[in-house]
Amino acid sequence: MSASSKAFNALGDPTRRAIFEKLRERPLAVVDIAEGLPVSRPAVSQHLKVLKEAKLINIKTYGTKNIYEVNREGILAMRNYLDKFWDQALENFKALAEKAEKEKNDHQKNK
Amino acid sequence: METINLITIKKELSVKASQQTAFEVFTKKMDLWWPRTHHVGTCPMTELALDAKPGGRWYSKHEDGSEVDIGYVLTYNPYELFTLAWQINGDFKYDPNLITEVEVQFIAEGAGSTKVIMQHKDLQKLGGTKAVESMDNGWGQIMELYKKQAES
Repeated sequence: MSASSKAFNALGDPTRRAIFEKLRERPLAVVDIAEGLPVSRPAVSQHLKVLKEAKLINIKTYGTKNIYEVNREGILAMRNYLDKFWDQALENFKALAEKAEKEKNDHQKNK
Repeated sequence: METINLITIKKELSVKASQQTAFEVFTKKMDLWWPRTHHVGTCPMTELALDAKPGGRWYSKHEDGSEVDIGYVLTYNPYELFTLAWQINGDFKYDPNLITEVEVQFIAEGAGSTKVIMQHKDLQKLGGTKAVESMDNGWGQIMELYKKQAES
């Protein structure tokens, strides 16, 4: 998987979206993030790792405590997300339109 | 202000297809090219539906039979211009009071080639008041992004 589709897919998961929404409000420790979510703490940690790899969140260490926060303030994270979304969507669109055009031309040639 | 560009996402691509094909695939076959992971429903998406006419509804259908609104068609001008109202906010929820605009232009570039220019505008609206607050401390980063964009 390419780096950009990784970032894009990170928010395709409802649990990760819920985590991201929580962090949009304020930075939190993993225990606070897990609270109220229907998944185990190790699962939350795994989701955080995916979000981190997708550069959507950052980790700050205070003593022994890790605090998670959104990588950029609201708009920028969202913008980043949408930017990657459109890259992927338009790439799909281009491939499909070109295929449709080719089929149309082939069909006409065979007439 | 030049920084206005930062709240618009702009993508340009050249498609080896006629203006008509490009327009029709975009508006009538959205379900086939829309990334399956991108929806705001609570269970997997089965179809991305768009009623391709002015005012036409734009929504997703889901495995449990539910339908979730995304927005609606603002401009339907075959085969040149297509504009959608995107009403999903920064918290990934449908908000009927929110309108961000997705504008798609289809420009014929000669035989069998079309330039497609997509702009997703008004992104500053996505985050509501939270976003305005965050503008204050996010401005430094915004300017950095702008610089990169201006220099590239």
